Amino acid sequence: MIALLIANSLALASLLIMLASGLALIYGLRDVINFGHGAIYMLGAYLGYTVALVGGFWLALIVVPILLALLGIAFEYLALRPLQNRSHIEVALVTLGLGIILGQIIIYFYGGVARSVDAPHILSGSVTVLNLSYPVYRIFLIVMGLGSCALLALWLRFTPSGLYVRAVSQDPSVARMMGINADRLSLLVTSLSAAFAGVAGVLAGPYLSIDPGMDVTMIVDCLIIVVIGGTGSIGGAIVAALLFGLVQVAGSVFLPNIASLVPYILLMVVLLVAPRGIGRGRVLN
Amino acid sequence: MNNRTTTAASARPSTLGALGSRSMRVPLTIAAVAILFLVGAVAPTRLAGDFVLRLGNEGLLLGMLALSVAFLMSQAGLVALGAASIYGGTGLLFAIALGEWNLTPMAAMCVSFLIIVVYATILGALIVRTNPLAFMMLTLAAGEMISHGVLLEALRDYTGGADGLVVRFKGSIFGMDSADFADPARFWLVAWVAAWLAGLALWAIGRSRLGAVLRAVRENEERMRFSGFDTYLPRLTAYVLVNIVAAVAGLLHVLNAGFVSPESLGLSVSINALVAALMGGIAGSVGPILGGLIFSFAQDEFGARGLTQLLTGFAIVLFIVVFPRGVVGGLWSAVQARAFGGRRETS
Repeated sequence: MIALLIANSLALASLLIMLASGLALIYGLRDVINFGHGAIYMLGAYLGYTVALVGGFWLALIVVPILLALLGIAFEYLALRPLQNRSHIEVALVTLGLGIILGQIIIYFYGGVARSVDAPHILSGSVTVLNLSYPVYRIFLIVMGLGSCALLALWLRFTPSGLYVRAVSQDPSVARMMGINADRLSLLVTSLSAAFAGVAGVLAGPYLSIDPGMDVTMIVDCLIIVVIGGTGSIGGAIVAALLFGLVQVAGSVFLPNIASLVPYILLMVVLLVAPRGIGRGRVLN
Repeated sequence: MNNRTTTAASARPSTLGALGSRSMRVPLTIAAVAILFLVGAVAPTRLAGDFVLRLGNEGLLLGMLALSVAFLMSQAGLVALGAASIYGGTGLLFAIALGEWNLTPMAAMCVSFLIIVVYATILGALIVRTNPLAFMMLTLAAGEMISHGVLLEALRDYTGGADGLVVRFKGSIFGMDSADFADPARFWLVAWVAAWLAGLALWAIGRSRLGAVLRAVRENEERMRFSGFDTYLPRLTAYVLVNIVAAVAGLLHVLNAGFVSPESLGLSVSINALVAALMGGIAGSVGPILGGLIFSFAQDEFGARGLTQLLTGFAIVLFIVVFPRGVVGGLWSAVQARAFGGRRETS
């Protein structure tokens, strides 16, 4: 029972980690929370659905992140760079507007109905681990989530570009004085974050349903995670995503009546106890 | 036609300042505003049909909601994305107080209003100390919490779930019964007066000491704290004040519509209010209310083709990137530029 609970919460947290760490990365570099991230994730899910119909799930898992990385590059060049002298709140609002537009375009093409994607043959069915039968797809989800999380950590920890990203996130002005090109890093980070959202979208297909409201649900969850994790802290976001997944899953088991409110209660509690979140996020301005 | 007169009035002080003598300026402005108020109160009810009046009423209420968003944005630098939870929440509470608790209309109004103000105070106490970006995320989360909470199966008997609640009351509120509130022409008068009162009140607050402190905190909170100012209480006060305006708009909405739907608590209403504020221009009181009217008529135009959301998305981007001062701010600077022979900088 407990093992099942933890496994389920890890599966949910895997998706959330990919999205929330993308948000936290952009925030670290640009001080902007991308309110359009939910729409990018939704685009990933719908594109994944289309590509999976044509060429199968595995192709979708490769093609969609590449397409979305290109979208991220466009987002960087067309929105973040021209607006980098505007206030961060204004840029955040612009991302909100762009997210709404993107969401509406997706609904225009795909209609307002929910879609579902079948897991590929190897990942359907379930395996028995320690006398517990568990769907293979969720194990795959956990592996992907934790794997990308580990890759992200390795990149941030051990590569020069990762070092630069951490430096800019910690203190943008000093980092720039030391000759770090924040624009180039931002291009990398924005495309990476969009690609992660794409992976999350494709992975969400067989796990959750693909529907027109998924962008708002996901962005609200991610915002809660980012606030709980301490705005801009990637480590905090990862821990918060795990916590969020656990609370969400445990809530739906033990408190089914108010399950949809449990994340908000968590948010309020964290705000009361530690207004800055659990990670040591950089305080904005 | 109402739109045009409103903008003309907002531009009037500057033209008068350039043309008339200084001693004549204040009385003339007051007279112009008073005439505008009276004309706006009476003319639409005589000239416009019921359909246009209904759109106008919705526009004024959305304008009041936009006013609350705009005040917080321009004075405190905080963007609230949860305005609808207050707006729809007050209406829903009013409906519950009438139907479930069997209160008289007046008592139901007071109770629902009180609950919302207490809620806004508690929420505000939690979230106004955060930075503007976190504030935006938190208001979004709190708003979603309320709109999900309303749909909870356990509360269905109370809130009506996804079906919403019908509001029928016997007796009267301020001498008006439910048929009066439902009549577009009579309600226009109510909404018009309410919008003016809210606009004047927030305008006066913006010019008071509280407004000055808020703007100073917006510019640099640390400096204000360092100078010995309390930076928390002014922001909390502002948050509660704007939510009072939103609650009044919500009450009027439910009195007019006779129905409260869960959608009126949803994110899209909050975003509509934000868009209305950005359209009109967030500085001052005329812009947001005018923005509400513009949005209401634009929504009628685009909504039939299912393009409302697309419209809001484009409007956010357009008005922030290209016209950050909104319609009123833009017109005002255009008039100013002409009055001063283009010598004065418009920004």
